[in-house]
Amino acid sequence: MPSPAPTLLAVAVGGMAGTGLRLAFDLAFPHGDAEFPIETLLVNLVGTFALGWLAGGLWTRPTTPTWLKAGLGPGLIGSFTTLSAVMASLLVLTREGEAWLGALYLLVSVAGGLLLAALGLKLGSRLAHRPMPHEVGDAGSTL
Amino acid sequence: MSGALSPPVIAAVLGAGAAGAVLRYLLSRAFPVRPGHLPGGILIVNVIGSGVAGALIGLAERAALDGDLRLVLVTGFCGGLTTFSTWSVETVELATGGRWRAAVLNVAVTLVLGLGAAAAAYLAFR
Repeated sequence: MPSPAPTLLAVAVGGMAGTGLRLAFDLAFPHGDAEFPIETLLVNLVGTFALGWLAGGLWTRPTTPTWLKAGLGPGLIGSFTTLSAVMASLLVLTREGEAWLGALYLLVSVAGGLLLAALGLKLGSRLAHRPMPHEVGDAGSTL
Repeated sequence: MSGALSPPVIAAVLGAGAAGAVLRYLLSRAFPVRPGHLPGGILIVNVIGSGVAGALIGLAERAALDGDLRLVLVTGFCGGLTTFSTWSVETVELATGGRWRAAVLNVAVTLVLGLGAAAAAYLAFR
């Protein structure tokens, strides 16, 4: 099923805003190559909690329009958070002889992400008075 | 990541991020999730984006990539293409649905292939 133009436009606008917010975090928390990339960790944890909250709450309302879900989820939050920056930091930390710091960073990112996703889903669905979603949304875009 | 960024560079980073987001959305629609299976579209964009970021960091290391262009492609495009939040939320949704095997696999396969692609591309291009 092709995606209608307003949905794609919402993803593009959300993607622009999410990327801009992430860039602002990068600039606000500068760090050296051999240091813990705190800005990407913050971005990923905050974004994951927010997406869990929405997936548990707003997403489960039948009246929520598709373009809004697409703009906020895959658009804004999807591009705010990043996996490539995590992988890039692991490469750079390893190159700088800080492989153990990289391993710690990966562990904190993944464990923290799963914890905050679960917390977001739980709080979002409780406030919306709905059961926790337990099926991955259609098309893998967490809609 | 320091120094003043010019408005055209910022605009290019945002535009590249939007392009990455739209590409991710289209790919996730092209590979619909089947119950109990891994969310394939998100896995694909995360592995490809990590590989491209690895290659770009390799190129930047031997000064074959301009700093502004690196910001546009790595922070903008790769950052917009890949996602951490959808991956985490979908993994938890798999687990709460009792599909523990798929949840564990989603984490393991994404990390192994993502890190593998990033490291291989970095070594090939540096």
